[in-house]
Amino acid sequence: MIGLNEKIISPLNRVEGDLDLKVELKGNKVVKAYPMSRLFRGIEIILKNKSPMDSLVITPRVCGICGGSHLYSTVRALDMAYKAEVPPNGVLIRNIMSLAEMGQNDVRHTYLMFLIDSVNKKYESFPFYKDMVLRWAPFYGSSYKEAVKWSKKYTEIYAIFGGQWPHGSSMVPGGVTAEPYPDDIMKAKAIIKEISSELVEKVMIGGPTEQFLSVKSMKDLNQWCEDYPNGDICKIWIYGKEMKWDKLGKGSDYLMSFGHVPLDEKYNQENPELMFKSGILNLNNFETLQLNQENFLEFVSKSYYTYSSGDIGLHPFQGETNPIPPISKDKYTFTKAFRYKLKDKLIAPEVGALSMLAVGGNDLILDLLKHLGTNVLLREIARFIRIVLINKIIEEQLEKYKFGEPTYKKPDEVKDSQGYGLIEASRGSLGHWIVIKDGKIQNYQIITPTQINMGPEDPYGNLSHMSLALVGTEVENIDNPIEVAHIVRSHDACMVCNVHFFDNKEKMVLKL
Amino acid sequence: MRTLLWLQGGACGGNSLSLLNASDPDLLLFFEQHKIKLLWHPSLSLENNIEKILNDIRNGKITLDILVFEGTIIRGPNNTGTFNLFAGKPMKDWISEISPLANYIIAVGDCASFGGIPASDPNPTQSTGLQFHKKEKGGFLGQKFRSKSGFPVINISGCPAHPTWILTTISMIVEGKLTEDLLDEYNRPKIFYSTTTQFGCPRQPYFTYKIASNELGHREGCLYFELGCRGPMTRSPCNNILWNNQSSKTRVGTPCMGCTEFDFPTFNFFKTEKNRSGLPKNLPIGMSRGSYITFSAIARGSAPQFLTKPLIKKRGDWIE
Ligand code: SF4
Repeated sequence: MIGLNEKIISPLNRVEGDLDLKVELKGNKVVKAYPMSRLFRGIEIILKNKSPMDSLVITPRVCGICGGSHLYSTVRALDMAYKAEVPPNGVLIRNIMSLAEMGQNDVRHTYLMFLIDSVNKKYESFPFYKDMVLRWAPFYGSSYKEAVKWSKKYTEIYAIFGGQWPHGSSMVPGGVTAEPYPDDIMKAKAIIKEISSELVEKVMIGGPTEQFLSVKSMKDLNQWCEDYPNGDICKIWIYGKEMKWDKLGKGSDYLMSFGHVPLDEKYNQENPELMFKSGILNLNNFETLQLNQENFLEFVSKSYYTYSSGDIGLHPFQGETNPIPPISKDKYTFTKAFRYKLKDKLIAPEVGALSMLAVGGNDLILDLLKHLGTNVLLREIARFIRIVLINKIIEEQLEKYKFGEPTYKKPDEVKDSQGYGLIEASRGSLGHWIVIKDGKIQNYQIITPTQINMGPEDPYGNLSHMSLALVGTEVENIDNPIEVAHIVRSHDACMVCNVHFFDNKEKMVLKL
Repeated sequence: MRTLLWLQGGACGGNSLSLLNASDPDLLLFFEQHKIKLLWHPSLSLENNIEKILNDIRNGKITLDILVFEGTIIRGPNNTGTFNLFAGKPMKDWISEISPLANYIIAVGDCASFGGIPASDPNPTQSTGLQFHKKEKGGFLGQKFRSKSGFPVINISGCPAHPTWILTTISMIVEGKLTEDLLDEYNRPKIFYSTTTQFGCPRQPYFTYKIASNELGHREGCLYFELGCRGPMTRSPCNNILWNNQSSKTRVGTPCMGCTEFDFPTFNFFKTEKNRSGLPKNLPIGMSRGSYITFSAIARGSAPQFLTKPLIKKRGDWIE
């Protein structure tokens, strides 16, 4: 059993759910990395034989921080299965809810989960350490406190249309259950405006939104930091490079995004036109490939599951969830290995805010990527950029809402059908697949961003993005392996991770 | 200083996130005002020293005043608990060891209280609540279990629990104002779980006069008769203490799912199950079939006309 002669300690906390990460070191260098998910809750099994509409209540409970994203994926899958038409108002309200959740997540991730590691003792001798502590220290830092205060305002926007957050509702095939009145729209507009000026402009970017939107290159960003040096984005940009976060955690050569924010006038279930495009960006030549969900495969050769057909990869429509007790010798995780079949290759892409913006064609991110490649620093910068964009889009979508027009169109019931919903959740690409037979769910499969990033190796020995990002990392002080923590947390891993460190004699050495 | 430790079992983290939404007081102010020391929380703590904290509690170096548990106790597979390993061993084993040492134990959320979604049919992880399994008293710790203060596990059910319910309960404990007679038969604080979701629901007049909303997406009409609202049989203050200071499920036209109750999830949501004579299978708490029939007949007949047609007309409207 994994962990029998190895002491399991110290969850690498501040992430959602459960993951252990076993890292083997040679000297100070990571030579192997095994992401190990240690919690199984069986949601896909529970959904079987239930009414398809029940998935709207059950899947948000997959995750407490991105339940709205699961709801959005589910509803898109049901739209397809029910051949539902969605009136423009329905699409707008869904988008607003989804982006409000993303804003909440980006703020909480950045300040409550990632930046507080800057107070780590590794950085004590840097001249800007005191400034980092004053801003980012947990519970006391000035920016930390603002983040606690303002992140929950995003959830108020969600609740205006979804009743509550977390685990809000309201999205149903055919639109949303809510029928917002002009006072709801006015309130939501005021809240997003306030977040923009009080948190985003004053604390995060340090200058006016409209001007920040014209920052399109690394050169522009450097200029921005001369003009508005007090925003956290400039602090992390400058300090981050001093701390070498730009050299840390390069992983997969491919960035993938399922795309996000359907345009309200042109909504269809199969191929909605999207504000953030879907695709796969090859970092070697900066070409973007079209994404086809038929090329998705999941393997369980290293996961605590069995397939009735052995080691071959399964597409989610054929997917199986048969857990086995976590005591196998070669298996080490409850996460399946996601792979994308690209011609004759199986690729393990990176997903997340950085991928969403890069694939979506954001100029600033693309220019930064060309200069620096993927790394921990850029993943955090991406969240600052994304939040500015999100706020702007929420404002625009609220503006477009037409009171008096329907938010919902009742679809016909179906007995036998199937559908999938692909979206971008806060942490990256998320997909749900549903197969309906005799009016009941015959199969329900979910692919989550953390699974895509942190899956195990496949039967051919290909590593997932996270393992690639960790292997080769130099850890300055084995007793304080903060570099590894940065890499994992920069992905906003949806897991409570345990990091175990092994030296080359396979002895546990770490405490985080 | 009171110590508080927050652990997660078979959880989605929703109650932790809900807690972060607290306002007046927000979390930081609450801890300060109530002199609470947060020993550890999986998503908020800087330090990664949970194993040491757990061991210090075990050997008496740390007094644990309040243990908050979120999520189910996972017993599977085959009673090993290895579907949920934490800091080196099954979470269920940590809970067995720590529970008798805590002065108070709070189960937050429906999972920790009653088993919630993971424990629902077919319960693939052998999940259960801390002191209840659905309706049955017992759960993981057993019927007779009492924490050091003499209290049973205090349940703050809901999927998730509202931050105001959580913080108020903790404040009452800290201030010594929580007495056992303030708990209901499911060990939930009565101040929150006496009324039903209908209290404060803006659709209540429609319920009274039996005017149904037959289709989602509308602001008017009651969601009980056709769309599966469990408001009349669910004890919660959701329409009185609003969510995120703003709203509730029924306010945005989503039927109440009954997530504060022991039988959540009931499945077949969004549809009112009826018996052969067309009566809803689930009647409001404490109402007999006979009186429901009488009440409906009278109610329908006496409905004020202004309620039987849309108050505000819009394109493609449904009533009339
Ligand atoms: S909508 Fe639900 S909670 Fe509101 S009055 Fe009707 S039954 Fe009660």
